[in-house]
Formats: sequence, structure tokens, C-alpha cells
Amino acid sequence: MTLLKVDKLEVVYHRVITAVQGVTLEVAKGSIVALLGTNGAGKTTTLRAISGFIGMDDARVTQGSITYRGERIENRPPHRITSLGIAIVPERSKVFENLTVDENLEAAVPRRGARFAKDVVYEHFPALVRQRRREAGYLSGGERQMLAIGAALMCGPELLLVDELSLGLAPLVMEELGRALRTIRDRLDTTLLLVEQNAQVALGLADYGYVMENGRIVLDGTPERLRAHEDIREFYLGAGSGERRRNYRDVKQYRRSRRWYG
Amino acid sequence: MQLAVNIAVLASIYALICCGYVLIYRVSRVLSLAHGELMMLGAYGLYATASLFGGHPLIAVVAACVLAATVGIAVYLALMWRMTGESVLAAVLATIALGILLRGAMILVFGTQTQYPLRDLGWTNASVPVGDARISAAGLALILATAAVYGGLFAFLHGTRWGIRMRAAGQHPLLAAQRGVGLHGVYALAWGLAALTGGMAGMLIACDAGLEGTLVIIGLKAFPAALVGGLDSLAGALVGSLVVAAAEVLLIHYVDPLLSDVVPFVLLLAMLAVRPWGLFGTREELDRV
Amino acid sequence: MSGYFRVRYADDFALLNTRTRKAWFGLLAAGLCVYPFVSGPLWLDLANQVLLGSIGAVGLMLLTGYAGQISLGHAGLLAAGAFTTGILFKEFAAPMWLTLPASAAVGASLGLLFGLPSLRLRGLYLAVSTLALHFIVIFLGGEYETRRGFSTGIVIDAPLSSPRGWYFTLFFAAAVTVLLALNLLRSRTGRAWRAIHGREAVAEALGISVPRAKLSAFVVSSTLTAVAGCLFAYYRGFVSAEAFSLYLTIQYVAMIIIGGMGSLLGAVLGTVFVVLFPYVIDAAMALLGLSERLSSVVFAVNYSAFGLVMILFLVFEPQGLVGLWRRVQNWFLLWPFKQRPLAK
Repeated sequence: MTLLKVDKLEVVYHRVITAVQGVTLEVAKGSIVALLGTNGAGKTTTLRAISGFIGMDDARVTQGSITYRGERIENRPPHRITSLGIAIVPERSKVFENLTVDENLEAAVPRRGARFAKDVVYEHFPALVRQRRREAGYLSGGERQMLAIGAALMCGPELLLVDELSLGLAPLVMEELGRALRTIRDRLDTTLLLVEQNAQVALGLADYGYVMENGRIVLDGTPERLRAHEDIREFYLGAGSGERRRNYRDVKQYRRSRRWYG
Repeated sequence: MQLAVNIAVLASIYALICCGYVLIYRVSRVLSLAHGELMMLGAYGLYATASLFGGHPLIAVVAACVLAATVGIAVYLALMWRMTGESVLAAVLATIALGILLRGAMILVFGTQTQYPLRDLGWTNASVPVGDARISAAGLALILATAAVYGGLFAFLHGTRWGIRMRAAGQHPLLAAQRGVGLHGVYALAWGLAALTGGMAGMLIACDAGLEGTLVIIGLKAFPAALVGGLDSLAGALVGSLVVAAAEVLLIHYVDPLLSDVVPFVLLLAMLAVRPWGLFGTREELDRV
Repeated sequence: MSGYFRVRYADDFALLNTRTRKAWFGLLAAGLCVYPFVSGPLWLDLANQVLLGSIGAVGLMLLTGYAGQISLGHAGLLAAGAFTTGILFKEFAAPMWLTLPASAAVGASLGLLFGLPSLRLRGLYLAVSTLALHFIVIFLGGEYETRRGFSTGIVIDAPLSSPRGWYFTLFFAAAVTVLLALNLLRSRTGRAWRAIHGREAVAEALGISVPRAKLSAFVVSSTLTAVAGCLFAYYRGFVSAEAFSLYLTIQYVAMIIIGGMGSLLGAVLGTVFVVLFPYVIDAAMALLGLSERLSSVVFAVNYSAFGLVMILFLVFEPQGLVGLWRRVQNWFLLWPFKQRPLAK
């Protein structure tokens, strides 16, 4: 079933800056969906709009809709959305630095009906067990990300939004994290919507992917389809079409129209 | 020895009041300068309940405590939640204005006479010997209350789920909200606790020395104690209160009684010059403002 | 397009540049000069209080509204000016043309002292340090009173006694203050203040000496305030430490907040508001028939009402009276449109 449906979403900052224009995407229950794109594409804004935490940046959903389990949730107060079962792991400031790992997990408020024990989190992220009583500020990047995801899981969400999953993480750590996420998806029945800049990571982890650019979805499909797409290969995976040696000037002047939605 | 007793009692007064300053600052980053008035409100609350429940002093005391906590929560819900997100100056001024409003209202409702709630409660302020010094029953109650309150607060903030959530909300309000913590609830709780502890201090001082308008100044003098210790540290509040109380009592005794009102502020200045974030405060506090 | 163009550099610097503005200003000046001859004694006294208060309010507005340095020590600076005047008068029978500059000098040096914490502290901590200094100044004043036996206060002989005389003196002083402030704000110093209010780091990167800007703001503000304190001492004829309480500081802070931060007009409007406030409350009480019942606690009514009004302004109209005035002005200027276009 479709858990989350975003339909022709438009998000405007300060009443004048349109950051997201006409985004349509779907997240099926039990899947891992990736939202790809470079900086400034509007991915974080989309996530924030879904989670409800956009008001403080003076942003609003001005058109379109976000539907969760059939219920419209755009422009709703964030605590309502959290209680419906959507949790977000933000890009920055994702843990409480002066609290211990244990306390970080305790701080999360489980939504009504969901009960989570810390042991479940420690099961999925065994690296955190050693650091139980350590202040979160002293953790490494990978451990921090694990803690952030674990704390979000303590809220018992049905849909977990993760902003910039792999930012700052070493490839090996990312592999371990990817494995953990798949296990979480399988065992805890948690659906994941990931925002990623790193196309390799995203396509390796997800069941379905959307590519965003300048506030619009320009391409979507399964990882295989996306990997095969010429433009993705060119601009996101660094694999050129092999015709000749390109330099940056060439690409700019070439002005090749991107064959989106082919 | 008598000096030590006096220091202990004064330090307890300051420590109880500082609880409020630290709690509100730590949890909601607002400096509440209305605390002296909240303290007095607690004392007047006791006076009111003592008159109401004349024959049952214990009920009067409990009712007064509940009343104080409720007023704190009401203050947050009526005023302070609107100031969340506003500039520092605006929030502080709002608390100052609130203090002025409360002081005027208290005079209008209760008049300007000195009251003696202890008498109304039917208890006497016996004098208890300690070594070769004496301490009043109210003073002893103050010390015990401070110990109980601080012990309770430490246990709450570090041992219970909601205490951890309060600390979390103080560090990263947005992240706490994203983890499902209701920020308004946490702030209201902080204000309620602050009003409760401040009110307790007010009640006990009123029992000791009588209830009159000059009580508010004590609230203002306790403020340097909180700053000296570090605005976001309860342990610091305890230590700061001891330091300020000791300095005050000793200087009054050995130098000049008129110094009592100004000593805390001189200490405050000295601390700000040397170590602005206090003895136990976290350093970032300075830049965050 | 308004049809108004500036064609010379002098036009840029001029305080009044259009003929309509000059006409309105002339009208205002004429009205203000005629005022003491047509108004009753109460209104004249109120006007005097407003003029006196506005000097201190402008001082505070320059410091907090423009330079962004929060100061809660205003009453202490007023007290410094007043006590300097009182002490010089009592000890040396000094005349006014001596006490005034002396107060200014004391104010300037105290301003340096009050401003020193601002080099290290910001916002809340700065406000607290100024508060502490305020208490110390008041304490010293009280000490002088008790040591020298003036337990109820120092009595001063004023060189002027007629309200009209005072009106023109204070009018002159206030006009000089406002002119001084306007010129400072248009100069390099004023721009430096605005810069450090906005972003200190950027100001420093632009080559502005942040310590110098901060200290100059404090020194200018305290000099003005101390002078106001000196005039206050002569006007009241009486100096005592109790008059300079924290409540006085709050009243001045209320003046600039209710008036509207960052605007000299706001300082004046705020002063008018705060000075008239007790009288309005009196009138309201008389209207409601509560005068006799509450006569003994009139000050408490004032207190509560003042606190309430401050809260209302902070919550609902943070830009103060000037904000209200600008909104009204805009409504009339822009009608039938509602908003200014985005592009200039």
C-alpha cells in the first residue's frame, strides 16, 4: 500500500522564494525510497514539509498535497505529524551532545501505542553498546548517525525520514549502516525515505529512487533503471558516455538538454 | 559558629530561589527577573491559605505549594509562551514587566501591612540550639527544604525520563520537538517548578521574619548567586549561593552592615570580569547569547 | 516616482530637505514656542517632565536602540549626574555652569566604566553587568547621604523657579540633544553603531573598531544621561538615592520600547507615553469612580497598569508607537494599494 503520497507539492520560503515546485512522489509501505539530487535541489525542504517542521524557516506549502495513510498532513502542526508515526533524522544537530547515548535514547517520546525498548536499538547498532554511558558529543560520525537513527526509532515511527544519510561517513561505515537499515526495514517494518547526495549509496540501498533538481522531480525509477540512464551516469555517477575526453568547459557549453522523463 | 549558621540559612534561601533562575534558564533560555515577585507571591499564598485553613496547618502548607506551582504554570501559559522565539531583551523585559505587574497586584489584593503567616498557621518559630549558636525552626526548615529540593531535582533531571527530556529540550529545542517532546509542556513544567521552589523560599522567609514588601529584594540578590555558579548548573547554584551568602554575612559582620545589599553585585561583577559563564556553567552559554 | 530628486551632496546631508518639511517643522517650532503661554500649569509641568525625560530617553535609545548594547543601569547614571550636582553644591556651593560640565564629565567616565564589560559580554550578561554597576552606584550615593547626614536627601537651590523659564531651558537642552543625536547618527560613529548592532563580526571585517564603537556609544549615552540627571536635580530641587530605583530604569527602557526601538521619534513618543501614563490612570480611576477606594494604593495601581501595558506592547506591538505610526502613515500614503512593491 502507499504509505505516503506527495502530489504536485510547492513550498515557498518567505512568501517569495519557491524552493520546491511540483514535486510528486510515492512511498510504498515497507520500502526504502531514495531522494537524490545535488545541493539546493529542494530535497531537505521536501523532507521538512513532510515532517511538518518548516514553519520556523518561514516556509509554507502553498500548493499540492501530502497524504499519509489517506490523511492530508501538509501545513499541520509538527507534533500532530509526529504522533501519526513520521519521524525525521535531521542533517545537522542530530543528537544531544551533552547527554549520554542512553539518555539520548530515553529522551525520545514513543508515540501512543508503540513501545520501544533500548535493547532493540542496541541490537541493530551493536557499535553503540560500548558507548552507552558516553556523552554523545564524543562519538564518531558514524556512531552519531547510528545514534540519531536509533533515537528516531525509539519514537516508534512507521515512516522514517533521513536527511543526508551518508554525509561525512566513511564507505565502510556506510556499508554497515546500510545493512542495519535493511534489517530495520525488514524486522521492524519501518518504511524509509532517504535524502542523499551520494548516488552510489542511494542506488545501492533503495528499492526506488527519485531525482530532484531545481525543486522538481526530473527522473524516477528502480535503481537498475536509474543506473542505466545516460544522464544519471554522466552527472551523478561520473561515468561519461566515453566518446571523448571532456573538460568542464565542454560540459557547460555543450548545453545538452537533459532527456528527463524519457 | 553563629556566623556559620547564618551563612547556612542565607545560602539556603539563595539556593532555593536560584533553583528557579537556573531551571527556567536551562530549559527555556529565558532569564526570568520576575522571580523575586514569584517568591513573594508564594509567601502571600501561604498567608491566604493559612487564613482559609486556620485549623489545619499542614493542609494550608500543601495548598500553598500547589498554588505556587499552578501560578508558575499559569504565568507560562498566559505570557511566556508568546515570547518564545523573540529576542533575549524582549523576553527579559517581559519578565520584568510581569514582576512589576505582580508586585502592584499583590499590594492591591493584600495591602501593605506586614503579615505573619506563621502565627496564622498556629505554629511557633522556636529557637533551636546548635553548638553554641542558635537557629530558628524556620531557618532549619529552610536548610532541610533546600537539601530536599536539590536532591529531588538532581534525581528527577538525571534519573527520570521526563527529567532527561527537560535537559534535552534545554540543549536542542528543535531536536527535542522532532523526537516528540512537547516543548510547551516542558517549559510550563519548568516554570511551575521554579515558582514552587521560589514560593517555598518565600513562605519560609515569611515564617521566619514576617511577610512584607521588601521581600522582593532578596529575590534580586539571589540572582548574582545563580550567575556566579553558572546560569545553567544546579550544582553551580548551590556553590554560588554559599559563596555569596558567606561573603555577605562575613562582610556585614566584620566591615559594615550597610554592605548587605551591594555585596552580591560586586561579586557578580568580579565573576563577570573573570569568568562570565560562572563556576560550573557551560562555556558556550556566553557566545550563544 | 515622487518627483523629488536630490541634485547636490548637501541635499543628502540636510536634515530638512523639502520645502514641505521645512514648512511643517517651522509650524512645529512655532507651536512649541507658543505652548507655555497658552497652556495651564499642569500641562506646562507635564511638558517640562517630557522634555527632561526625553534627554535621558534619547541617550538610552542611542545606546540600546541604535548600537544594540543592552543597558539596565540607566537610573545609576542619572543618579551619578544628580549626585555630582548635589555633592558639588553642598560641599563647594558650586554654581550651575560648573556642575553641569562636571556631571557630564562624571557621566563620561562612568560610561567608560559601564561600557568596559561590553567588550567581553553580550546581550543578557551585559545587561546583568550594567545592573550590578547600577546597584553599586546607588549604594555609593546612599553611603554619601548617610555619612554626611543627609538621610532624607540633599536639597538644592535651583537657579530657575518659573515653569516657563524651565520650559525654555529644557526645550533648549532637549533640542540640542536631539540635534546632537541626529548628527551623530548621520556620521561615521552612528553608522558604526548600527553596524555593530547588526553583526559585530561583519563590522569588524569592514574595518570598524568594535571596541571603539561600543565604548563611544556608552560614553555618549552616559554623558547625556548624567546631564539629564543634573537637570533633574535642579528641577526637583532634591536628590535622594531612593528616587533612582530599578523601577526608574525600567521606565526609561519602557520609553524606548513603547516608543519604538531604533528611532529618535520613538524616544520622544515613548517619553510622552510614560510621563502621561500616571495621569491617564488617575483620570481613568476618577472616571470609574474608584478614586477614593484606591487612593492609598495609587502607586500600586500605577505599577500594575504599567506592567500590564508593557507586556501588551511587548507581545502585540514590538515595534512600539513608531511602528503603529508608520503603519498608519503607510496606509494613508499607499492607499489604494496595500503594500510596497518588492522592486525599488
